Amino acid sequence: MLNGEQAQASSGRADRPLLVAHAISKSFPGVRALREVSLTCMPGRVHGLVGGNGAGKSTLVSIVTGVQEPDAGRLVLDGEPFAPRSPHDALAVGIAAVYQELTVLPNLSVIDNVFLGQEPCLPGLVVDRGAERVRARRVLDELGLSGLSLDREASELSVAERQLVEIARALVRDARLLILDEPSAVLAGPELESLFGSVRRLASQGVAILFISHRLSDVMDLCDEITVLRDGQVVSSGPVAEYTPSRMIRDMSGRELAELTSVEREVGGEAVLEVDGLLLPGTEPDGISLQVRAGEILGLAGLIGAGRSRLLRAIAGAERVHGGTIAVRGRRLRRNSIRSAKRYGIALIPEDRATEGLILKMSVSSNITLAVPRLVARFGVLVRRLEQAVARRAISSLSIKVSDPSRTVRNLSGGNQQKVVLARWLASEPAVLLLDEPTRGIDVGTKAELYEIIRDLSRTGIATILVSSDLPELLALSDRVLVMSGGRVVAETDAGRATEERVLALALGHDGDREAA
Amino acid sequence: MIDAAARLAELRSLRTSRPAARTASAVRWVVRNGLAVWLIVAVLVVVMAVHRGGSFLSEQNVSNVLSQSVVLALVAIGQTFVVVSGGIDLSVGSLASLTTVLAAGWIAGRSGYVVPVLLLLMAIGAGVGVAHGYFVTRGRVEPFIVTLATYFILQGVGFAYTRVPVGSMPIGVSDFFYSHAGPIPWIFVIVVAVGVLLAGVLARTRFGRHVYAVGGNAAIARAVGINVTLVTTACYVVSGVLAAVAGFLLAARAGLGAPSAGSGLELSAIATVVLGGASLAGGRGRLLGTAGGVALLALIQNSFTQLSISSFYQSLVLGAVIVAAVAIFVRRD
Repeated sequence: MLNGEQAQASSGRADRPLLVAHAISKSFPGVRALREVSLTCMPGRVHGLVGGNGAGKSTLVSIVTGVQEPDAGRLVLDGEPFAPRSPHDALAVGIAAVYQELTVLPNLSVIDNVFLGQEPCLPGLVVDRGAERVRARRVLDELGLSGLSLDREASELSVAERQLVEIARALVRDARLLILDEPSAVLAGPELESLFGSVRRLASQGVAILFISHRLSDVMDLCDEITVLRDGQVVSSGPVAEYTPSRMIRDMSGRELAELTSVEREVGGEAVLEVDGLLLPGTEPDGISLQVRAGEILGLAGLIGAGRSRLLRAIAGAERVHGGTIAVRGRRLRRNSIRSAKRYGIALIPEDRATEGLILKMSVSSNITLAVPRLVARFGVLVRRLEQAVARRAISSLSIKVSDPSRTVRNLSGGNQQKVVLARWLASEPAVLLLDEPTRGIDVGTKAELYEIIRDLSRTGIATILVSSDLPELLALSDRVLVMSGGRVVAETDAGRATEERVLALALGHDGDREAA
Repeated sequence: MIDAAARLAELRSLRTSRPAARTASAVRWVVRNGLAVWLIVAVLVVVMAVHRGGSFLSEQNVSNVLSQSVVLALVAIGQTFVVVSGGIDLSVGSLASLTTVLAAGWIAGRSGYVVPVLLLLMAIGAGVGVAHGYFVTRGRVEPFIVTLATYFILQGVGFAYTRVPVGSMPIGVSDFFYSHAGPIPWIFVIVVAVGVLLAGVLARTRFGRHVYAVGGNAAIARAVGINVTLVTTACYVVSGVLAAVAGFLLAARAGLGAPSAGSGLELSAIATVVLGGASLAGGRGRLLGTAGGVALLALIQNSFTQLSISSFYQSLVLGAVIVAAVAIFVRRD
């Protein structure tokens, strides 16, 4: 199409910038999201944009794609001033974005999603299905989705497949500037390789690419230039050769990040949580038994689908069990329900905080006090003063960054949202804390803070079970590690003696013939 | 790395199709294409044909059922567009009542006025739709509130114009409304043609696909460059124009303009859309399903007349059928 020809033409003058952002500033109520940020995208080059959560990457993308208008500064496209008022304007000049939040519509088929907003049309605005099918097939095959039916409804796809469909949408646009906002977060192995292959191919055709990722190794792999943002400002910018992952972390966090080290700790407390022969439907007949002592952090390692999250949910009463007992401080739980588990002091911080952990439309303080109505109410009537007091205490002890506790949780960054979930359960003073992927999707700086919080909490005598797919994190935080596979505990090891390789091998079990990538 | 193996296994297990999965996907296909309600219609037709064979299948009765259904059909087609785009249009009953009295009052028996007045009424309907679109998109008011407001406003305008039946339609117009070839009324043929055309628009055009996208998630639709304001407004315009024409047909049927002729149409139309498998949350629904909903409502009404059961029970049974059909057939995701 037309844009394709333009992309070809622009590759002829690859020394001229395609898009330049000059001193862009943007503020939201209470936040200065961007301060005089400048950025240059060259045709045929992959430009990496990195920064912690809330550094301003997504705001910059939304300005370039016309979702928002800058307060100050200007954009220059092909040497001409460019002021997109809507995504439509940006798409019209060949700027396509793949967003961090999945923008695949579940109610449409794969092919309808790929061509959404850019349907090839026959005269009379009737969609040209034949042309669509041929092109969609080609693009999906390039992305390694040759087995995916074009007519499947998107609601039936896995997260990884949706992400690739979303990327396919940008590929069929013949974009001149392709923005990839965290495209690799949910991809792994072969899927990631085919994505990188496609990106490199586009770059060689003269397309300018802006690549945003938390995975620093991906950025090092793929990018020609790197720009680091922190608190809405450019900290550094330059060719990839000048960077190492540790320099990026230093620039992103503003300080030298101490290597994540495991701390030798004495854990001599009594057993707080005792699980004996817990029988989940469809698992081994002998069930799962484990103990966690006061002040101990027990790590659960394993592949996705090994049953770690299910075990946590079962202990918290959120999953049906067929048998076995759970006891907290020697007192046996009589009923298998969330309410009963909560009464005995078991707190679960779920994996998906947006849908299971938080009520996004409610305020920070309401979210924090949700599980402790007795603390903030007199005779069933909420007392605002008490609620605010509990919330403020939690906000300061976890250093949650929010200007006003009555603001809705939706406005917080991922790391701060996770702290709100933690704060809610800490307000109920639990004996047992179950953490399911507590640092997923959180930037390095906030991660380090969360590690400190988790360690501090366990020091107060809370028994903690931690599930994390980030192995270095799991090994560093845990005192003891259980490895799960196929719904069973297959090994137990001291954190001090466990290595990533050993845990991985145990987690893979005897499935040596599975493609471990 | 650790996730890759598990994810591959997951992908593979999704692709293997077991018989149970195949049955489930067949059911999904039927529901998704709006065929489920037709199954109920088919059962009802068979039962009535066996039970009341002669009189139910008579040319007179079939022709009656078909011409009875055209007004609801037009309104329901418009409602489908609005519902699929993620909205709702409560104003259509009031709008049809208003255009009925305006049609009969303005034409007042003069044949030369028929076409200009019909066009004028369609323009009024389009204007109402544009207003709905404006307040829903630019004003960011909930569609339910906006169209509830216009429901009352249009009702008020209608009552200001007249509280008693007014005007008259030329004999030729009423004759045309009731003319038929065999058991098939011509007006039914025309409405079906309009329905097929608009079904094509919804299923096969760029605009149609954007309607589904806007109803599925307006923010995403905007992000991929779809003009959400235009698409939303267009759906309300379709609904408004068709409701205005439905009002004209009500006048043609009665020969005059009764000020409450269209009352309740909005709820019947929403019922047919839901029976047809559409989601009131938007993004799902087909005109074929809506047509099945219209057929079901018309059949239930006719069955009660045929069986000489009090019309009081009609609402009762209709309500039960809606709950049952929706509980059985509508997808919950």
